[in-house]
Amino acid sequence: MLKITPEEIKLITKYIYEISGIYLDESKKYLLETRLNAIAEEQGCSSYQDFHRKAKADASKLIERKIIDAISTNETLFFRDTGPFQLLQHKILPELIDARAAKSSFSKTNLKIWSAASSTGQELYSIAIVLQELLGDMSKYSIKLIGTDISDAAVAQASSGKYNKFEIERGLARDKLTKYFSSVGQTWKVNDQIRAMANFRKFNLMSPFIGLGKFDIVLCRNVAIYFTLEDRKKLFNKIADVLEPDGYLIIGSTESLTGICPRFIPKRHLRSIFYQLK
Amino acid sequence: MNSMTILVADDDPVIRKLFEKRLSREGYEVTVAADGAEAARLLDAMVFDVVITDLVMPGDIGGIELLKIAKERSVEIEVIVITAHSSVDTAVDAMKKGAVDYLEKPVNFDELFLRLEKISEVKALMKNAGDLREAMNVTENSAAQTIQDLEIINSAHQQMLDRLEDLLGNHHQDEGSRIEQALQILENR
Repeated sequence: MLKITPEEIKLITKYIYEISGIYLDESKKYLLETRLNAIAEEQGCSSYQDFHRKAKADASKLIERKIIDAISTNETLFFRDTGPFQLLQHKILPELIDARAAKSSFSKTNLKIWSAASSTGQELYSIAIVLQELLGDMSKYSIKLIGTDISDAAVAQASSGKYNKFEIERGLARDKLTKYFSSVGQTWKVNDQIRAMANFRKFNLMSPFIGLGKFDIVLCRNVAIYFTLEDRKKLFNKIADVLEPDGYLIIGSTESLTGICPRFIPKRHLRSIFYQLK
Repeated sequence: MNSMTILVADDDPVIRKLFEKRLSREGYEVTVAADGAEAARLLDAMVFDVVITDLVMPGDIGGIELLKIAKERSVEIEVIVITAHSSVDTAVDAMKKGAVDYLEKPVNFDELFLRLEKISEVKALMKNAGDLREAMNVTENSAAQTIQDLEIINSAHQQMLDRLEDLLGNHHQDEGSRIEQALQILENR
Protein backbone atom coordinates (compact mmCIF):
# COMPACT_ATOMS: atom_id res chain seq x y z
CA MET A 1 0.00 0.00 0.00
CA LEU A 2 1.16 3.50 -0.89
CA LYS A 3 2.33 5.37 2.23
CA ILE A 4 1.25 8.94 2.80
CA THR A 5 3.65 11.50 4.32
CA PRO A 6 2.54 14.29 6.70
CA GLU A 7 3.09 16.86 3.93
CA GLU A 8 1.00 14.80 1.53
CA ILE A 9 -1.79 14.54 4.11
CA LYS A 10 -1.94 18.36 4.16
CA LEU A 11 -1.90 18.49 0.37
CA ILE A 12 -4.60 15.85 -0.12
CA THR A 13 -6.94 17.05 2.66
CA LYS A 14 -6.74 20.58 1.23
CA TYR A 15 -7.54 19.23 -2.23
CA ILE A 16 -10.49 17.17 -0.92
CA TYR A 17 -11.78 20.27 0.87
CA GLU A 18 -11.58 22.31 -2.35
CA ILE A 19 -13.46 19.79 -4.47
CA SER A 20 -16.07 18.69 -1.93
CA GLY A 21 -16.17 20.89 1.17
CA ILE A 22 -15.45 17.78 3.24
CA TYR A 23 -12.99 18.76 5.93
CA LEU A 24 -10.57 16.09 7.10
CA ASP A 25 -7.93 16.83 9.69
CA GLU A 26 -4.52 15.22 10.01
CA SER A 27 -5.86 12.44 12.24
CA LYS A 28 -7.59 10.92 9.20
CA LYS A 29 -4.42 9.38 7.76
CA TYR A 30 -5.81 5.86 7.97
CA LEU A 31 -9.04 6.85 6.25
CA LEU A 32 -7.15 8.55 3.43
CA GLU A 33 -4.88 5.59 2.85
CA THR A 34 -7.57 2.93 2.94
CA ARG A 35 -10.02 4.83 0.74
CA LEU A 36 -7.65 6.36 -1.79
CA ASN A 37 -5.06 3.62 -2.21
CA ALA A 38 -6.97 1.72 -4.88
CA ILE A 39 -7.48 4.83 -7.04
CA ALA A 40 -3.85 5.93 -6.63
CA GLU A 41 -2.58 2.50 -7.66
CA GLU A 42 -5.01 2.27 -10.55
CA GLN A 43 -3.65 5.60 -11.82
CA GLY A 44 -0.12 4.22 -11.52
CA CYS A 45 0.95 6.85 -9.00
CA SER A 46 4.31 6.55 -7.26
CA SER A 47 3.30 8.79 -4.35
CA TYR A 48 0.35 10.80 -3.07
CA GLN A 49 2.07 13.93 -4.35
CA ASP A 50 2.06 12.36 -7.81
CA PHE A 51 -1.59 11.37 -7.25
CA HIS A 52 -2.50 14.94 -6.32
CA ARG A 53 -0.77 16.27 -9.45
CA LYS A 54 -2.51 13.77 -11.71
CA ALA A 55 -5.93 14.47 -10.16
CA LYS A 56 -5.53 18.22 -10.62
CA ALA A 57 -4.30 17.86 -14.20
CA ASP A 58 -7.11 15.52 -15.23
CA ALA A 59 -9.37 17.66 -17.45
CA SER A 60 -12.05 14.95 -17.58
CA LYS A 61 -12.37 15.22 -13.77
CA LEU A 62 -12.62 11.44 -13.64
CA ILE A 63 -10.05 11.12 -10.84
CA GLU A 64 -11.73 13.92 -8.92
CA ARG A 65 -15.07 12.10 -9.18
CA LYS A 66 -13.52 8.85 -8.02
CA ILE A 67 -11.95 10.57 -5.03
CA ILE A 68 -15.30 12.10 -4.04
CA ASP A 69 -17.04 8.73 -4.40
CA ALA A 70 -14.39 7.10 -2.21
CA ILE A 71 -14.22 9.75 0.48
CA SER A 72 -17.92 10.56 0.94
CA THR A 73 -19.70 8.39 3.49
CA ASN A 74 -22.72 6.57 2.17
CA GLU A 75 -23.84 4.85 5.32
CA THR A 76 -27.61 5.09 5.15
CA LEU A 77 -30.70 2.97 5.58
CA PHE A 78 -34.32 2.96 4.64
CA PHE A 79 -36.14 4.79 7.42
CA ARG A 80 -32.79 5.45 9.11
CA ASP A 81 -33.75 6.78 12.55
CA THR A 82 -37.55 6.49 12.71
CA GLY A 83 -37.99 9.96 14.30
CA PRO A 84 -37.93 12.13 11.16
CA PHE A 85 -40.27 9.81 9.26
CA GLN A 86 -42.83 9.77 12.07
CA LEU A 87 -42.48 13.52 12.22
CA LEU A 88 -43.17 13.75 8.48
CA GLN A 89 -46.05 11.29 8.58
CA HIS A 90 -47.89 12.58 11.64
CA LYS A 91 -47.14 16.27 11.68
CA ILE A 92 -45.28 17.95 8.85
CA LEU A 93 -46.91 16.40 5.78
CA PRO A 94 -50.54 16.62 7.05
CA GLU A 95 -49.99 20.25 8.11
CA LEU A 96 -48.31 21.23 4.86
CA ILE A 97 -50.85 19.46 2.67
CA ASP A 98 -53.72 21.21 4.47
CA ALA A 99 -51.99 24.58 4.08
CA ARG A 100 -51.14 24.04 0.41
CA ALA A 101 -54.54 22.53 -0.48
CA ALA A 102 -56.27 25.63 0.92
CA LYS A 103 -54.22 27.76 -1.46
CA SER A 104 -54.89 25.65 -4.53
CA SER A 105 -58.58 24.74 -4.51
CA PHE A 106 -58.81 24.56 -8.33
CA SER A 107 -55.43 23.11 -9.14
CA LYS A 108 -53.23 20.32 -7.90
CA THR A 109 -51.67 20.67 -4.48
CA ASN A 110 -47.97 21.41 -4.85
CA LEU A 111 -45.26 20.14 -2.59
CA LYS A 112 -41.50 20.33 -3.07
CA ILE A 113 -39.15 18.30 -0.91
CA TRP A 114 -35.36 18.31 -1.03
CA SER A 115 -33.05 15.66 0.37
CA ALA A 116 -29.86 17.73 0.35
CA ALA A 117 -27.44 14.84 0.89
CA SER A 118 -29.43 12.00 -0.61
CA SER A 119 -26.58 9.47 -0.72
CA THR A 120 -27.87 6.28 -2.37
CA GLY A 121 -31.50 7.43 -2.19
CA GLN A 122 -32.91 5.54 0.81
CA GLU A 123 -34.06 8.72 2.58
CA LEU A 124 -35.97 10.10 -0.40
CA TYR A 125 -37.56 6.75 -1.30
CA SER A 126 -38.59 6.35 2.36
CA ILE A 127 -40.35 9.73 2.09
CA ALA A 128 -41.97 8.66 -1.18
CA ILE A 129 -43.31 5.56 0.60
CA VAL A 130 -44.64 7.67 3.49
CA LEU A 131 -46.36 9.99 0.99
CA GLN A 132 -47.84 7.07 -0.92
CA GLU A 133 -49.25 5.56 2.29
CA LEU A 134 -50.52 8.90 3.55
CA LEU A 135 -52.13 10.19 0.36
CA GLY A 136 -53.19 7.07 -1.52
CA ASP A 137 -54.39 8.59 -4.78
CA MET A 138 -51.52 10.81 -5.87
CA SER A 139 -53.30 12.29 -8.91
CA LYS A 140 -54.56 15.28 -6.93
CA TYR A 141 -51.04 16.28 -6.01
CA SER A 142 -48.01 17.59 -7.78
CA ILE A 143 -45.14 16.46 -5.61
CA LYS A 144 -41.51 17.01 -6.47
CA LEU A 145 -38.97 14.95 -4.56
CA ILE A 146 -35.42 16.05 -5.30
CA GLY A 147 -32.32 14.30 -4.04
CA THR A 148 -28.84 15.69 -4.48
CA ASP A 149 -25.45 14.33 -3.53
CA ILE A 150 -21.85 15.16 -4.28
CA SER A 151 -20.97 11.59 -5.26
CA ASP A 152 -21.71 10.51 -8.86
CA ALA A 153 -21.73 6.87 -7.81
CA ALA A 154 -24.29 7.55 -5.07
CA VAL A 155 -26.50 9.55 -7.47
CA ALA A 156 -26.32 6.76 -10.05
CA GLN A 157 -27.34 4.10 -7.54
CA ALA A 158 -30.10 6.30 -6.13
CA SER A 159 -31.51 6.85 -9.64
CA SER A 160 -31.42 3.12 -10.41
CA GLY A 161 -33.37 2.36 -7.22
CA LYS A 162 -31.49 -0.94 -6.89
CA TYR A 163 -30.20 -2.27 -3.60
CA ASN A 164 -28.45 -5.43 -2.51
CA LYS A 165 -29.76 -7.54 0.32
CA PHE A 166 -27.44 -5.94 2.87
CA GLU A 167 -28.67 -2.48 1.98
CA ILE A 168 -32.30 -3.51 2.02
CA GLU A 169 -32.95 -5.83 4.90
CA ARG A 170 -32.31 -3.52 7.83
CA GLY A 171 -34.72 -0.71 8.55
CA LEU A 172 -37.34 -1.80 6.08
CA ALA A 173 -40.37 -3.67 7.43
CA ARG A 174 -41.35 -6.84 5.61
CA ASP A 175 -44.73 -5.48 4.48
CA LYS A 176 -43.13 -2.38 2.95
CA LEU A 177 -40.46 -4.48 1.29
CA THR A 178 -42.96 -6.73 -0.48
CA LYS A 179 -45.28 -3.83 -1.31
CA TYR A 180 -42.78 -1.36 -2.74
CA PHE A 181 -39.91 -3.49 -4.01
CA SER A 182 -39.44 -6.41 -6.32
CA SER A 183 -36.50 -8.78 -6.23
CA VAL A 184 -34.37 -10.00 -9.07
CA GLY A 185 -32.12 -12.64 -7.54
CA GLN A 186 -30.13 -10.94 -4.77
CA THR A 187 -31.06 -7.44 -5.94
CA TRP A 188 -34.11 -5.48 -4.82
CA LYS A 189 -35.53 -2.73 -6.96
CA VAL A 190 -37.88 0.08 -5.94
CA ASN A 191 -41.18 -0.19 -7.82
CA ASP A 192 -41.55 2.19 -10.77
CA GLN A 193 -44.38 4.13 -9.16
CA ILE A 194 -42.18 5.08 -6.19
CA ARG A 195 -39.07 5.52 -8.29
CA ALA A 196 -40.83 7.91 -10.67
CA MET A 197 -41.64 10.23 -7.76
CA ALA A 198 -37.99 10.94 -7.00
CA ASN A 199 -35.31 12.72 -9.00
CA PHE A 200 -31.63 12.63 -8.22
CA ARG A 201 -28.74 14.74 -9.43
CA LYS A 202 -25.25 15.74 -8.48
CA PHE A 203 -24.89 18.90 -6.45
CA ASN A 204 -22.15 20.37 -4.26
CA LEU A 205 -23.60 22.02 -1.16
CA MET A 206 -20.66 24.44 -1.17
CA SER A 207 -21.84 25.98 -4.43
CA PRO A 208 -24.44 28.80 -4.66
CA PHE A 209 -28.08 27.68 -4.43
CA ILE A 210 -29.13 29.18 -7.76
CA GLY A 211 -32.09 27.88 -9.77
CA LEU A 212 -33.28 25.49 -7.06
CA GLY A 213 -36.49 27.40 -6.35
CA LYS A 214 -38.18 27.23 -2.96
CA PHE A 215 -38.81 24.11 -0.91
CA ASP A 216 -41.54 23.16 1.53
CA ILE A 217 -39.32 20.63 3.29
CA VAL A 218 -35.54 20.37 3.32
CA LEU A 219 -33.77 17.39 4.87
CA CYS A 220 -30.09 17.98 5.51
CA ARG A 221 -29.09 15.13 7.78
CA ASN A 222 -25.64 14.02 8.82
CA VAL A 223 -23.72 15.89 6.13
CA ALA A 224 -22.85 19.23 7.73
CA ILE A 225 -20.90 17.26 10.35
CA TYR A 226 -18.18 16.83 7.71
CA PHE A 227 -17.91 20.60 7.14
CA THR A 228 -16.06 23.34 9.02
CA LEU A 229 -18.07 25.59 11.35
CA GLU A 230 -17.78 28.45 8.83
CA ASP A 231 -19.11 26.29 6.00
CA ARG A 232 -21.94 25.00 8.19
CA LYS A 233 -23.02 28.59 8.84
CA LYS A 234 -22.99 29.35 5.11
CA LEU A 235 -24.84 26.14 4.29
CA PHE A 236 -27.74 26.65 6.70
CA ASN A 237 -27.99 30.30 5.72
CA LYS A 238 -28.38 29.24 2.09
CA ILE A 239 -30.97 26.64 3.12
CA ALA A 240 -32.91 29.38 4.95
CA ASP A 241 -32.93 31.32 1.66
CA VAL A 242 -34.54 28.46 -0.30
CA LEU A 243 -37.10 27.45 2.35
CA GLU A 244 -40.72 28.62 2.08
CA PRO A 245 -41.64 30.98 4.98
CA ASP A 246 -43.72 28.21 6.60
CA GLY A 247 -41.41 25.43 5.40
CA TYR A 248 -39.66 22.81 7.50
CA LEU A 249 -36.01 21.88 7.95
CA ILE A 250 -34.95 18.51 9.37
CA ILE A 251 -31.33 17.93 10.38
CA GLY A 252 -29.60 14.86 11.80
CA SER A 253 -30.79 13.74 15.23
CA THR A 254 -27.43 14.51 16.87
CA GLU A 255 -26.87 17.79 15.03
CA SER A 256 -27.58 21.27 16.35
CA LEU A 257 -28.02 24.71 14.82
CA THR A 258 -27.02 26.52 18.02
CA GLY A 259 -24.43 29.11 17.08
CA ILE A 260 -24.82 28.17 13.42
CA CYS A 261 -27.94 29.84 12.06
CA PRO A 262 -30.06 32.19 14.21
CA ARG A 263 -32.70 32.41 11.45
CA PHE A 264 -34.14 29.04 12.51
CA ILE A 265 -36.16 28.21 15.62
CA PRO A 266 -36.15 24.61 16.88
CA LYS A 267 -39.54 23.05 17.62
CA ARG A 268 -40.15 19.73 19.28
CA HIS A 269 -42.78 17.19 18.33
CA LEU A 270 -42.85 13.89 20.21
CA ARG A 271 -39.22 12.77 20.30
CA SER A 272 -37.98 14.75 17.31
CA ILE A 273 -36.98 18.29 16.50
CA PHE A 274 -37.64 20.26 13.36
CA TYR A 275 -36.76 23.83 12.47
CA GLN A 276 -38.75 26.69 11.02
CA LEU A 277 -37.80 30.21 10.02
CA LYS A 278 -38.27 32.91 12.65
CA MET B 1 -17.83 -24.64 17.02
CA ASN B 2 -20.01 -24.72 13.91
CA SER B 3 -23.25 -23.46 15.35
CA MET B 4 -25.14 -23.07 12.10
CA THR B 5 -28.42 -24.90 11.66
CA ILE B 6 -28.85 -26.64 8.32
CA LEU B 7 -31.88 -28.09 6.58
CA VAL B 8 -31.15 -30.77 3.96
CA ALA B 9 -33.85 -31.64 1.42
CA ASP B 10 -33.22 -34.72 -0.74
CA ASP B 11 -35.53 -37.53 -1.81
CA ASP B 12 -32.76 -40.14 -1.83
CA PRO B 13 -32.63 -41.73 1.67
CA VAL B 14 -28.99 -42.81 1.25
CA ILE B 15 -27.84 -39.30 0.38
CA ARG B 16 -29.98 -37.85 3.21
CA LYS B 17 -28.30 -40.18 5.69
CA LEU B 18 -24.87 -39.28 4.32
CA PHE B 19 -25.49 -35.52 4.66
CA GLU B 20 -26.82 -35.99 8.18
CA LYS B 21 -23.78 -38.00 9.24
CA ARG B 22 -21.09 -35.84 7.64
CA LEU B 23 -22.56 -32.46 8.63
CA SER B 24 -23.25 -33.60 12.23
CA ARG B 25 -19.68 -34.84 12.51
CA GLU B 26 -18.51 -31.34 11.52
CA GLY B 27 -20.59 -29.91 14.34
CA TYR B 28 -23.54 -28.53 12.38
CA GLU B 29 -27.10 -28.98 13.61
CA VAL B 30 -28.78 -30.93 10.82
CA THR B 31 -32.43 -31.55 10.04
CA VAL B 32 -33.45 -33.60 7.00
CA ALA B 33 -36.54 -33.58 4.79
CA ALA B 34 -37.57 -36.27 2.26
CA ASP B 35 -39.12 -33.80 -0.19
CA GLY B 36 -39.87 -30.12 -0.84
CA ALA B 37 -43.23 -30.18 0.96
CA GLU B 38 -41.68 -31.54 4.18
CA ALA B 39 -38.85 -29.01 3.92
CA ALA B 40 -41.37 -26.17 3.51
CA ARG B 41 -43.22 -27.35 6.65
CA LEU B 42 -39.93 -27.44 8.58
CA LEU B 43 -39.08 -23.92 7.38
CA ASP B 44 -42.36 -22.78 8.92
CA ALA B 45 -41.67 -24.46 12.23
CA MET B 46 -37.95 -23.83 12.76
CA VAL B 47 -35.22 -21.31 12.05
CA PHE B 48 -32.39 -22.35 9.73
CA ASP B 49 -29.18 -20.60 8.67
CA VAL B 50 -28.67 -22.68 5.54
CA VAL B 51 -30.84 -24.85 3.29
CA ILE B 52 -29.15 -27.48 1.11
CA THR B 53 -31.56 -28.81 -1.48
CA ASP B 54 -31.58 -31.16 -4.42
CA LEU B 55 -32.87 -29.32 -7.47
CA VAL B 56 -35.03 -32.23 -8.63
CA MET B 57 -37.43 -33.72 -6.11
CA PRO B 58 -40.83 -35.41 -6.51
CA GLY B 59 -44.01 -33.46 -5.76
CA ASP B 60 -45.03 -29.85 -6.37
CA ILE B 61 -42.11 -28.31 -4.52
CA GLY B 62 -38.77 -28.80 -6.26
CA GLY B 63 -35.45 -27.14 -5.44
CA ILE B 64 -36.26 -23.84 -7.18
CA GLU B 65 -39.64 -23.61 -5.44
CA LEU B 66 -38.04 -24.41 -2.08
CA LEU B 67 -35.44 -21.68 -2.71
CA LYS B 68 -38.26 -19.20 -3.24
CA ILE B 69 -40.08 -20.34 -0.09
CA ALA B 70 -36.89 -20.12 2.00
CA LYS B 71 -36.12 -16.59 0.76
CA GLU B 72 -39.68 -15.54 1.55
CA ARG B 73 -39.30 -16.84 5.12
CA SER B 74 -36.14 -14.77 5.55
CA VAL B 75 -33.65 -13.20 3.16
CA GLU B 76 -30.99 -14.24 5.68
CA ILE B 77 -31.43 -17.95 4.92
CA GLU B 78 -28.70 -19.02 2.48
CA VAL B 79 -29.58 -21.74 -0.02
CA ILE B 80 -27.12 -24.15 -1.67
CA VAL B 81 -28.54 -26.22 -4.52
CA ILE B 82 -27.34 -29.69 -5.50
CA THR B 83 -27.46 -30.50 -9.17
CA ALA B 84 -26.66 -33.31 -11.55
CA HIS B 85 -23.62 -32.64 -13.71
CA SER B 86 -25.78 -32.33 -16.80
CA SER B 87 -28.00 -29.55 -15.45
CA VAL B 88 -25.54 -26.83 -14.51
CA ASP B 89 -27.71 -24.31 -16.39
CA THR B 90 -30.53 -24.89 -13.91
CA ALA B 91 -28.07 -24.33 -11.07
CA VAL B 92 -26.97 -21.02 -12.58
CA ASP B 93 -30.63 -20.09 -12.90
CA ALA B 94 -31.06 -20.92 -9.18
CA MET B 95 -28.17 -18.59 -8.33
CA LYS B 96 -29.81 -15.81 -10.32
CA LYS B 97 -32.89 -16.41 -8.18
CA GLY B 98 -30.92 -15.99 -4.97
CA ALA B 99 -29.10 -19.26 -4.22
CA VAL B 100 -25.68 -18.56 -2.70
CA ASP B 101 -23.94 -21.49 -4.40
CA TYR B 102 -24.37 -24.85 -6.13
CA LEU B 103 -22.65 -28.20 -5.87
CA GLU B 104 -22.54 -30.95 -8.49
CA LYS B 105 -23.34 -34.60 -7.75
CA PRO B 106 -21.67 -36.60 -6.37
CA VAL B 107 -21.21 -34.09 -3.57
CA ASN B 108 -17.64 -33.43 -2.51
CA PHE B 109 -18.02 -32.84 1.21
CA ASP B 110 -14.70 -31.04 1.66
CA GLU B 111 -15.90 -28.55 -0.91
CA LEU B 112 -19.25 -28.23 0.86
CA PHE B 113 -17.56 -27.60 4.21
CA LEU B 114 -15.46 -24.82 2.66
CA ARG B 115 -18.57 -23.16 1.25
CA LEU B 116 -20.32 -23.47 4.64
CA GLU B 117 -17.34 -21.91 6.42
CA LYS B 118 -17.46 -18.96 4.03
CA ILE B 119 -21.20 -18.56 4.68
CA SER B 120 -20.55 -18.74 8.41
CA GLU B 121 -17.87 -16.03 8.14
CA VAL B 122 -20.16 -13.72 6.19
CA LYS B 123 -22.94 -14.31 8.72
CA ALA B 124 -20.55 -13.51 11.59
CA LEU B 125 -19.49 -10.28 9.84
CA MET B 126 -23.12 -9.39 9.23
CA LYS B 127 -23.93 -10.00 12.87
CA ASN B 128 -20.96 -7.90 13.92
CA ALA B 129 -22.03 -5.07 11.63
CA GLY B 130 -25.55 -5.38 13.03
CA ASP B 131 -24.25 -5.25 16.62
CA LEU B 132 -22.16 -2.18 15.82
CA ARG B 133 -25.14 -0.51 14.18
CA GLU B 134 -27.26 -1.33 17.21
CA ALA B 135 -24.61 0.13 19.54
CA MET B 136 -24.44 3.21 17.33
CA ASN B 137 -28.22 3.58 17.45
CA VAL B 138 -28.29 3.42 21.24
CA THR B 139 -25.52 6.00 21.52
CA GLU B 140 -27.09 8.17 18.86
CA ASN B 141 -30.56 8.09 20.46
CA SER B 142 -29.17 9.00 23.82
CA ALA B 143 -27.05 11.83 22.38
CA ALA B 144 -29.99 13.04 20.28
CA GLN B 145 -32.23 13.44 23.36
CA THR B 146 -29.54 15.43 25.19
CA ILE B 147 -28.89 17.62 22.17
CA GLN B 148 -32.61 18.22 21.62
CA ASP B 149 -33.08 19.27 25.24
CA LEU B 150 -30.14 21.67 25.01
CA GLU B 151 -31.32 23.00 21.65
CA ILE B 152 -34.80 23.81 23.02
CA ILE B 153 -33.49 25.30 26.28
CA ASN B 154 -30.94 27.35 24.40
CA SER B 155 -33.56 28.63 21.99
CA ALA B 156 -35.86 29.64 24.87
CA HIS B 157 -32.95 31.47 26.55
CA GLN B 158 -32.11 33.21 23.32
CA GLN B 159 -35.69 34.39 22.91
CA MET B 160 -35.71 35.62 26.51
CA LEU B 161 -32.50 37.54 25.95
CA ASP B 162 -33.99 39.11 22.82
CA ARG B 163 -37.02 40.27 24.83
CA LEU B 164 -34.82 41.65 27.61
CA GLU B 165 -32.73 43.51 25.06
CA ASP B 166 -35.81 45.09 23.50
CA LEU B 167 -37.25 45.96 26.89
CA LEU B 168 -34.13 47.41 28.48
CA GLY B 169 -33.30 49.39 25.35
CA ASN B 170 -36.78 50.94 25.20
CA HIS B 171 -36.12 54.57 26.20
CA HIS B 172 -39.79 55.50 26.14
CA GLN B 173 -40.23 53.85 29.54
CA ASP B 174 -38.58 54.97 32.77
CA GLU B 175 -35.75 52.89 34.13
CA GLY B 176 -37.62 51.71 37.21
CA SER B 177 -40.43 50.11 35.25
CA ARG B 178 -38.01 48.61 32.71
CA ILE B 179 -36.05 46.93 35.50
CA GLU B 180 -39.26 45.74 37.15
CA GLN B 181 -40.50 44.17 33.91
CA ALA B 182 -37.09 42.64 33.22
CA LEU B 183 -37.10 41.03 36.66
CA GLN B 184 -40.60 39.73 35.96
CA ILE B 185 -39.36 38.03 32.76
CA LEU B 186 -36.43 36.48 34.65
CA GLU B 187 -38.68 35.25 37.47
CA ASN B 188 -41.03 33.56 35.02
CA ARG B 189 -38.34 31.65 33.18
